[in-house]
Amino acid sequence: MSEAAVIETGASDEPQVKSARAETILYVDGVSVTFDGFRALNNLSFYVEPGELRAIIGPNGAGKTTMMDIITGKTRPDTGDVLFKSEIDLTKMDEAEIANLGIGRKFQKPTVFESHTVFDNLLLACSGGRGVFQALFHRLSDAEKIRIEKTLITIMLEDKRDEMAANLSHGQKQWLEIGMLLMQEPELLLVDEPVAGMTDSETEETAKLLRSIAKDRSVVVVEHDMEFVRDLDCKVTVLHEGSVLAEGRLDHVQKDPRVIEVYLGR
Amino acid sequence: MRNDILSVLRRSPFSMCKMHEIATRVMGALGFVVVLAAFVPDTAQAFSDEELRNIAEQLDDKSATKKVAVIEEMAADGDPRVAPILKAMLDGDLYVRDSDEHVVIATKKGKVYTHIDIVSGEVAGESSSKELSKIKINNRLRGALRDALATLNLFSPDLAVRSAAVEQIMDARDPAMLPLLLRAIDREEDETLLARMQLAEATMALAAGETTDERLAAIAVLASETTPQIRAVLSQFVSSAEAEGYQPEVVAAAKDALASVERRLSTWQTVGDVYRGISLGSVLLLAAVGLAITFGVMGVINMAHGEMIMIGAYTTFVVQQALAPFLSSGSAWSLAISVPAAFLVAGAVGVVIERCVIRFLYGRPLETLLATWGVSLVLQQAIRSIFGATNQQVTAPDFMSGAIEFSTGLVLTYNRLWIILFSVIVVAGIAAVLRYTAFGLQMRAVTQNRRMAGSVGIRTGYVDALTFGLGSGIAGIAGVALSQISNVSPNLGQTYIIDSFMVVVFGGVGNLWGTVLGAFSLGIVNKFLEPMAGAVLAKIFVLIALILFIQKRPKGLFALKGRAVEA
Amino acid sequence: MTDYRQKYKMTPVVGWLLNDRGGMTLLAILIAAAILVPVGNLLVPESSAFHVPTWMVSLLGKYLCYALLALSVDLIWGFCGILSLGHGAFFALGGYAMGMYLMRQIGDRGVYGDPILPDFMVFLNWKELPWYWYGFDMFWFAIVMAMFVPGLLAFVFGFLAFRSRVTGVYLSIITQAMTYALLLAFFRNDMGFGGNNGLTDFKDLLGFSLQSDGTRAGLFVASCVFLGLCYIVARGITQSRLGKVLIAIRDAESRVRFTGYRVEYYKLFVFTVSAVMAGIAGALYVPQVGIINPGEFAPALSIEIVIWVAVGGRGTLYGAVLGAFIVNYAKTFFTGVMPDFWLFFLGGLFIAVTLFLPKGVIGAVPAFGAADRQSLFTTWRKRVAERRANEGGKA
Repeated sequence: MSEAAVIETGASDEPQVKSARAETILYVDGVSVTFDGFRALNNLSFYVEPGELRAIIGPNGAGKTTMMDIITGKTRPDTGDVLFKSEIDLTKMDEAEIANLGIGRKFQKPTVFESHTVFDNLLLACSGGRGVFQALFHRLSDAEKIRIEKTLITIMLEDKRDEMAANLSHGQKQWLEIGMLLMQEPELLLVDEPVAGMTDSETEETAKLLRSIAKDRSVVVVEHDMEFVRDLDCKVTVLHEGSVLAEGRLDHVQKDPRVIEVYLGR
Repeated sequence: MRNDILSVLRRSPFSMCKMHEIATRVMGALGFVVVLAAFVPDTAQAFSDEELRNIAEQLDDKSATKKVAVIEEMAADGDPRVAPILKAMLDGDLYVRDSDEHVVIATKKGKVYTHIDIVSGEVAGESSSKELSKIKINNRLRGALRDALATLNLFSPDLAVRSAAVEQIMDARDPAMLPLLLRAIDREEDETLLARMQLAEATMALAAGETTDERLAAIAVLASETTPQIRAVLSQFVSSAEAEGYQPEVVAAAKDALASVERRLSTWQTVGDVYRGISLGSVLLLAAVGLAITFGVMGVINMAHGEMIMIGAYTTFVVQQALAPFLSSGSAWSLAISVPAAFLVAGAVGVVIERCVIRFLYGRPLETLLATWGVSLVLQQAIRSIFGATNQQVTAPDFMSGAIEFSTGLVLTYNRLWIILFSVIVVAGIAAVLRYTAFGLQMRAVTQNRRMAGSVGIRTGYVDALTFGLGSGIAGIAGVALSQISNVSPNLGQTYIIDSFMVVVFGGVGNLWGTVLGAFSLGIVNKFLEPMAGAVLAKIFVLIALILFIQKRPKGLFALKGRAVEA
Repeated sequence: MTDYRQKYKMTPVVGWLLNDRGGMTLLAILIAAAILVPVGNLLVPESSAFHVPTWMVSLLGKYLCYALLALSVDLIWGFCGILSLGHGAFFALGGYAMGMYLMRQIGDRGVYGDPILPDFMVFLNWKELPWYWYGFDMFWFAIVMAMFVPGLLAFVFGFLAFRSRVTGVYLSIITQAMTYALLLAFFRNDMGFGGNNGLTDFKDLLGFSLQSDGTRAGLFVASCVFLGLCYIVARGITQSRLGKVLIAIRDAESRVRFTGYRVEYYKLFVFTVSAVMAGIAGALYVPQVGIINPGEFAPALSIEIVIWVAVGGRGTLYGAVLGAFIVNYAKTFFTGVMPDFWLFFLGGLFIAVTLFLPKGVIGAVPAFGAADRQSLFTTWRKRVAERRANEGGKA
């Protein structure tokens, strides 16, 4: 299965692999992971270029979330390489280190700090010292304040500034989480099902938000919603049973007979 | 003659310490035994009636030394009529009848003393205390009497009495006993006892033997034995042999024998440790297996789990009290009824706790922990108020008392063996319920996907309550078993709760086999550490090891992996 | 609520103190008590209605130590979600450090009259002072150790536990195992801490007799001062960005990790600080009650601390102080009047508070923001429903 992907990305021979690596922000090669005999990922390989917006689709159990877990250091792969900016080996690092490298992750289920205000949620995500004592003696600077206010506007929550995050609607929590990712100033954003449970207008707003975010960073979006993926208007990778089934523009992969079989066969 | 024997003893292989000991004894009573034993004729019942009566009358002599001599003389004879006389003297029941100066055994009944003739053993009149004068004894005489009785017991017609006498001789290892023992060996007909006697002979022959051949022969007999006693004999001999500079082959043979005895003993020691470990493991398993259900399957931290065990133990007590008028003591029925009763009582309490407290706290494990701790305090105090704070006595049924004893020092008590068996049955029963019954299926369904289970028509609340009831009921059954080996007190549960949690956490949550393995490995590790470090330190080490183990495997030995365990 | 910080552009310390109505009340009461109780005890004549008897000074002093202990538990449980069931161990270690100093102060006034060795060592035929008893003849050293030893234990234990991400009930269970192991260890005579009997028969502290009213009043004042200081430190921690991170860890630990914080370091920091506070509480406790024995390590006592916090209201700090006073007063009352009822009451309290008062007494008082908490309570109910639904959905 992964052969197709390799051919499509044109990385089948040595020199090109190297050049591909040199240009990638995320390089996943031959990653496999097994949970109690169940192969969640099977020799998964794909690349994301700097500044690229990429959608990853696939049926349930295709390994999308496990892939995210591996990139962000939550799960260790059994075999394979995961490189950030072509040289940093992510498989040896933990979540916090990876986050500090500039990889942000949004969970499938919106996860914000419910007992904090929207403002404090953004403050906590604000890039800067993560050390214990830095945090203990930290005082809010004007620059940080301005950044937070700007982000509040970006995620359309400026009027909810002092609201407890617990009291936000589901869609607002999704946005707040995206806002927190922005505050981290990541170079690579991994977004897991950002529009699950959103209304149509919210979905549209979110697509717009992600496209604008992708202007100055790489974004990988995992999504089920085909309309939303079409709205994103980007390259699509189809996962199936832990490996890449097809890759390309949405209308291109939709014509692929194997993709049709996987989706309709279910 | 006496001097000859003493000189033999002087030349014999004893350390200075032993020499001193013997010298002291020769000065005292036992020296006479040596003398007398040498003269003992080889037939039983050497005394004629008249001789017996005469020699017994000498027991009333004023001098204690003389009395001792008489005792020894009587004992050395091997006459079976002597033993009751000496026994009576030891018990203070031997008198001289004023009317005819005959020695009689008198037993008191009210104010009347019944006389028994020492020669015929038949009743020979009655009197008040005025007509009798007691034959007085002191501590020295008591010692002499006991020694003499031990000697006589060797010739008792009762096999059990003879065996006990042989064991006593084995323990004392007094070379003076050797001639008597040899005579006893000649007469002995019981094969097993004969072997024991020969072993005893060998231990003494080793000490008293003079030639290399005698010693080597004794060593050869001893080398095949595997008891701590023989190890002590041999190691004592090795050190004295080295000190006295025996022939090298004797020393070497003794060392070899000692090494092989030690090797076999250490194997038995290991077997014993494993057994004790399994025994402890089965107790831990019984205590923890109910928890494995409530904690492992439901994710509920039940701090009142120990109190469920306690309730089971008290149920056993109550059942036994209630049935006491109808059953003979030691009947197995009360225990047989206690098992289902404890299951029902503890299970019912469990269901009530689940319905009244725990069901409001699902998804909040820490709060559940606190609330069930509160429940445990209430239950403890309730039991204390009803039954009092003192320990209650639960009598063991007959089939559980007693033990299999090996000469190697390993003792397998029946109650422990039954508990091991019982724990296996309980675990097998739970596994069967979980696997083969409709309830087990529903339970697993609710554990895996509550919402889905609910939508296919399983009453999830009902299943929750029953699952908790099952876990508690099993704790109750554990209480029945534990009532046999620990004190039934309101604190019973507290002693098991931390251990139970350790077992479940170590084995891995949600895995019955993990719990089984966890219990047995903790039990065995504990028992292997105990001889080295003592019980308390062993326990501390196990706790520390567990704390460190959890760092390595935060979810236990058999943790589920993957995304599903996320929450 | 007005944010004084922004209104007056004050320094943060003053700002967060003024914002904290409960804390201000607590500090005011502590200051008042530190003045009035010694005055009432030492200066007001016994015949007066305002006289404070010495036993009450000691009792209140004991409660203050418990309050400090509760504060330390609230700092980790209320703000970081770490439920320690072994905090009694840190308290007891602090107590033992102080006890060792007090033992050394007895000198040759012991029953056996040995100038160096405490009585129990003479009794056990020990010839020399064990090395770990060195230095405890100096007060400052004992005080440092009362903080350092619990802190070090917490640091090592926490380092191992948090690094390997032992959380939730697993952490609770191993903290319980820790204090249980210490209980067993301290029961041993070989440990050199007096075994079963512990350390007792103290004579004086810094030359002041422990029996005198003045010393007792002094210890009471010291307890007030340390409780106040620790409150301010704890409040400072929780109000800083670090405190916000802690709350975030409590609510969504993995989100915090993915935001780039090393969760284990944060937990380790607050766990250690909390253990040091518990150690201080223990050191203040021992001279006031006159004994320290291994019973203080009992797991049951450590769980009881948690209920003090829960009764008062977790996550508020001053609630923990209030809870410690309420529960311990109830204990004094019941064990005096109807001892059999005490465990029923305590057990019932555990159940009732977790079921009906998840925010404790403080949460039920409107003046301390109960209205706000009411909404939190409803969101909590919502969250439970959500979580149960999700539990199903996930697997």
